[in-house]
Amino acid sequence: MTSTTLPPEPRTDRTDRNRYLSALRSWRGLTGLALVGAAALAGLLAPLLTGTDPNAQSALALAGPSAEHPFGTDDLGRDLFSRVLHGIGTDLALIVTAVPVGALLGCSAALLAATSRWADLAVQRAFDLLLAFPGLILALAVTAVLGPGRWPVVIVIALAEVPGFGRQLRAGILVQREREYALAARVGGASRARVLLRHVVPNAVDPLIVQTAVALSLGVFIEGAMSFLGLGVRPPEPTLGSILSQSVAYLATDPTFAAAPLAATTALVLGFTLIAEALNRGIRR
Amino acid sequence: MRTFLLKRLPSGLLVLALASFLVFLILRLIPGDPATSLAGPDASPAAVEAIRAQLGLDQPLFGQYLGWLGRLLSGDLGPSYAIGGQVADLIGNGLGATAQLALGALLLVVLIALPLAVAGATTRSRPLAAVIQAVTTAVLAVPPFVTGVLLVLVLAVSLRLLPAGGHESLLAAPDLALQYLAMPALCLALPSAAVLARYLKDGIERALAEDYVRTATALGVSRRRIVWRHALPNALPSAVTVLGLQIGHLIAGAVLVERIFAWPGLGQLIEQGVARRDYPVVQDLLLLVVAVYVAVQLLTDLAYAWLDPRIRWE
Repeated sequence: MTSTTLPPEPRTDRTDRNRYLSALRSWRGLTGLALVGAAALAGLLAPLLTGTDPNAQSALALAGPSAEHPFGTDDLGRDLFSRVLHGIGTDLALIVTAVPVGALLGCSAALLAATSRWADLAVQRAFDLLLAFPGLILALAVTAVLGPGRWPVVIVIALAEVPGFGRQLRAGILVQREREYALAARVGGASRARVLLRHVVPNAVDPLIVQTAVALSLGVFIEGAMSFLGLGVRPPEPTLGSILSQSVAYLATDPTFAAAPLAATTALVLGFTLIAEALNRGIRR
Repeated sequence: MRTFLLKRLPSGLLVLALASFLVFLILRLIPGDPATSLAGPDASPAAVEAIRAQLGLDQPLFGQYLGWLGRLLSGDLGPSYAIGGQVADLIGNGLGATAQLALGALLLVVLIALPLAVAGATTRSRPLAAVIQAVTTAVLAVPPFVTGVLLVLVLAVSLRLLPAGGHESLLAAPDLALQYLAMPALCLALPSAAVLARYLKDGIERALAEDYVRTATALGVSRRRIVWRHALPNALPSAVTVLGLQIGHLIAGAVLVERIFAWPGLGQLIEQGVARRDYPVVQDLLLLVVAVYVAVQLLTDLAYAWLDPRIRWE
């Protein structure tokens, strides 16, 4: 008896969706979703949940938690509960703007790379060039030109995500393009562009889903780091990073100041990381 | 080995050349003119022109670029615009502190990752494996500025074991200098250590599943010898690549860690340069970072080829 080994069939959309759902139903996925969901809800509903203006100063500076100020107040007497919740909102707004832009740029570059050998070389060198300016160094270069502010943060996060998405998709395309179904589609008369966009790319996007979760947590990293260096969103607008960097000066005397921004940042980043891990395990299975 | 190096060198040099041009160009896009800001608000146009000519800003752009490269190659970095003093001196002063921090962190990365990976891959105790997994995930997930704040809270504020920040010369007072170095280096090392531990653990686990390990076990080779002499060396090449990529994160992280722990290194200098629009300081430091990054990638490739002879004979 002759045995032939067939390459595994490309999956259909339906099982794909189930795979992601069941991956998210693992304990990692559920914990991650709960953490991110709670933080996101608190951030989005900040104006409803807190009656106080996050920027309103008062004489009650560096107070501990109380009924009126559940997280206490900062060095200017501003309500930390309101600032942390609004800070989550600002962080999420920045990241949700920047990550899709970075993903789009990276994926477009990867598609461009798939068109010819020269384009591939050029795109790879461009990724190398971006990677040679690791995260914060890129932030310093961008803010040297634009000055600190909201848009520089978005630009830095987006640029920092480009090589991640681009390389993942490029690697996926290279693998999938050699598979028999792609060859079959080509033999069947489909144009190169159609084979790439309708057959190859849909089978190469799995790693991008994981990459998105990783990118979101990287966004929180970059926002916080830029705020720490005074390159981020301008005060008095609260962000998680700016509240945390403010609290560093008072760690010895008022450690409760740091507690709420620490918890919120950790919840958000840990949540995104757990979701990424859950999806990664689901895809590898 | 030499052909291998010759194959890798051009792309590294290309990235370096592109980066140098990009760095130069970016800083010329800044809206404010350094000559105007240097001359002060009340300066006459003639005085501004004089400063511009002195700094060479009246030259054509490409001429300025070539002039800058030429001076870099001859080792003359020129004066800084705003911070004061020669750029070479400023960089020289910060380099020692940053090198201490980076090397200390690199050492800690390996010292933390190696035992964690070996223990994680070889332990038969499920709770220990779960703890190692949880610790690496948590450390990986938490940004360095959060770890920094937590370290200060626990080690400096509560336990009073280490100073919260500052720097001491390693030559003048070695014991004190190490106390100051411990926390920043640990803060910088932890995320990279977690990444490395994870890759190394996967590598060792994969190697332990290979046939040659079964053969060695059958021949009566001790478990310890199998892990350290057979599985680990086979897991090292990919781990070295990961470590090389982490060095980029270490450089970038150093800027942040220096800020949190008041460490007087190059990170503080570049931050100051950006805040005060000191072109020469910023562009020279940016180029230095890119050069170090490119050099490390090249060294990583070489180490990979050295550790894995199959690559060399390709």
